[in-house]
Amino acid sequence: MKHLSDEELLEHCYGEGAGAAGGHIESCAECAQAYAALQADLAGLHAVEPPARDAAYGEQVWHAIEPSLPVYGSPKRTWQRLGLWRGLSFAAACALLVAAAFFAGRLWEHRQPRITAAKAPPPPQQVVLVLLGDHLDRSERLLVELKHTSADSTEMISPLRDEASTLLAANGMRRQDARRIGDPALATTLDQLNKLLGELAKPSGTLDPAAIARLQKEASADNLLFEVRVLRSRIPDQGSSVTTRSRGGKI
Amino acid sequence: MFRMGKHDPALIRDILSGNKEAYGALVKSHSPKLFRLAFRITGNEADADEVVQDAFLLGYRKLESFESRSNFGTWIYRIAAHCALNRLRGHKIEESSRVSDETDPETDSLQVADAAAGPERLILSGEIAAMQETAMLALTPAERAAFVLRHMEGCTTEEIALALGMEPNAAKQAVFRAVHKLRLRLAALRVNR
Repeated sequence: MKHLSDEELLEHCYGEGAGAAGGHIESCAECAQAYAALQADLAGLHAVEPPARDAAYGEQVWHAIEPSLPVYGSPKRTWQRLGLWRGLSFAAACALLVAAAFFAGRLWEHRQPRITAAKAPPPPQQVVLVLLGDHLDRSERLLVELKHTSADSTEMISPLRDEASTLLAANGMRRQDARRIGDPALATTLDQLNKLLGELAKPSGTLDPAAIARLQKEASADNLLFEVRVLRSRIPDQGSSVTTRSRGGKI
Repeated sequence: MFRMGKHDPALIRDILSGNKEAYGALVKSHSPKLFRLAFRITGNEADADEVVQDAFLLGYRKLESFESRSNFGTWIYRIAAHCALNRLRGHKIEESSRVSDETDPETDSLQVADAAAGPERLILSGEIAAMQETAMLALTPAERAAFVLRHMEGCTTEEIALALGMEPNAAKQAVFRAVHKLRLRLAALRVNR
């Protein structure tokens, strides 16, 4: 026969465990003896009686802990208040940022026109110089082409005449500019150039190979190409004229 | 373990809606039972008072998580048991140093550390109580708390496990070990009885 363990006896003693334990104890003298001994020992273990506490004990406990207890609901309101303050602070910070950005923008606007005013309208003399530089570039190219063209080739003469015609109209204005800025050397060269352009711009019937040869000779004799190059070198480079000059340089 | 006070659910609703004073009624109502439990587990009056206060403070802080359909008495009782166990664990070394844990080889009885008590003042019941207390102090905190809940408070294994935060089987084993140790230590009383 298998006897009950101490643990099973204890469980039975406290009213827990398998129901079969009770039946076994009734039929097994050894287990019944062990069970009786256990019961006796447990019965000898008296419940410790605590010191007496009077009726005001609960009141004393309450008074001891009451100051440490927060009020439910109030922390929420505190958080709501904190949240409100936080929201207001955030809104104020945003408003300050927007205002600062606005005033910064205004300041930027006030400064911008001055900058553009300094850059946008170039001085009149600078405009004249740009136009002169461009005119001298085109004239130099024409003179180079005239120098190297064949007097018998009517195909080559025709583009020269068209270009001369365009330059002739511009040359008149540049001569006026030269006089206005008080540059006699430029004015003299433009006068010589004006004469040559006038000859070149004549209708095709009057511009025969002999006339072309004569013009080539006059241009060479006057050193007109050299004069144009010297004048061009005196004028500061501009974006468009640089391109023109480099193209002319290759020729 | 505890019966729900008739007005407990209403009081809890009041507390959660901002009426702190309503908790006073719960404290006054449940303090004596919590003190008895705390004293039995800690074996010390001052510690028991501290445990009662700690339990009610903790209970108040956790009151929002308390389910109104539960029994507040049972709930706060479990908290108190847990607080008492923690306090016992904290003071275990101090408690052990109060008494000699050595057995007298000749008499096989425990030596109670009460030198002031003369033989004429030691009546039998007092001696038994002192020996039992000494034997109880020799238990581990978990064993002592589990035994008190089982033997003195009449809790089931599940209730002990819930109160002390352990598995039911661990609670059962703790009670078993406690009973085994107590029987061994109090064997001398059995002879004299």
